[in-house]
Amino acid sequence: MEEKEFILQLLNPKTQNNAFQKLLSDYKRPLYNHIRNIVLDHDDANDVLQNTFIKVFQNLNNFKGESKLYSWIYRIATNESITFINKKAKLSGATSNELKSKIVENLEADTHFDGNEIQIKLQKAILTLPEKQQLVFKMRYFQEIKYDEMSTILGTSVGALKASYHLAVKKIENFINKD
Amino acid sequence: MNEFKINDKNKITSGFSTPDGYFSDFSLELNKKLKLTKTEVNVISINKKRWITSVAAILIVALAATIYTKLVIENPEDSLEMENYISNHSEISQYDLITLLDKKDIENLSIELNNNNSKIDKEFLNTSNIEDYLTE
Repeated sequence: MEEKEFILQLLNPKTQNNAFQKLLSDYKRPLYNHIRNIVLDHDDANDVLQNTFIKVFQNLNNFKGESKLYSWIYRIATNESITFINKKAKLSGATSNELKSKIVENLEADTHFDGNEIQIKLQKAILTLPEKQQLVFKMRYFQEIKYDEMSTILGTSVGALKASYHLAVKKIENFINKD
Repeated sequence: MNEFKINDKNKITSGFSTPDGYFSDFSLELNKKLKLTKTEVNVISINKKRWITSVAAILIVALAATIYTKLVIENPEDSLEMENYISNHSEISQYDLITLLDKKDIENLSIELNNNNSKIDKEFLNTSNIEDYLTE
């Protein structure tokens, strides 16, 4: 089905419910992974994922089709995740990176983390990067999002994203090799 | 020891996992929430409409009451207040008053004066310093 047709189904009250269920089934897993990579904690990711779908549902009428539905949904999820982590950090009187460091320190005890030593090391290495570089690295490395898609989600040029990812890889490799 | 290269090794996953059946439960939970959100939106809009109507009604009543009170209570006192104001402000000269009068006011005054010509004559006769007034 073409995206335009799918969007029309989402906007039509008669077909909206079925179309939204399809959207939910297509997007819930990749969006969860995207959000979880940013907020790190499962319960937080669950809250943000719910808020993201509620926002998508409530703002369907405002979606003008200027960008792809995929980019629009990912942009909402990204903004929701960043806002969430910033708010949570503010409440605990820390920066978002300090909060994330705390979560990563406790990953071994997290019941929803099946990682080993190298995975924890990688998470620690990611935290040494600037915030935007962290996001670019996670989206490219873990989720394999294409640069042009990432560009429409983050509003950054493809060239800048490639440079950012390249720098991130170098820093992560240095961090892990030094340790 | 070999140098770590992120693209040489087998891909490292994030290691994050979810509880069993999380995604099917998520859909059910979200659908419940969305129905709830839809209802909440309707309830809020009805309440909001009622609230706005009530406030508008109160404002109209208050405004009407204020205008009515001003018209009924303040008008009879207008002339008295004006007199008091003029008598308490001695710096207001007759020239100031003249500039405030329009043609119609002056005509009205002349009619009043014409009706009282005999009184004026008497006043002139009985007032010794009438010349001072006339020269002023």
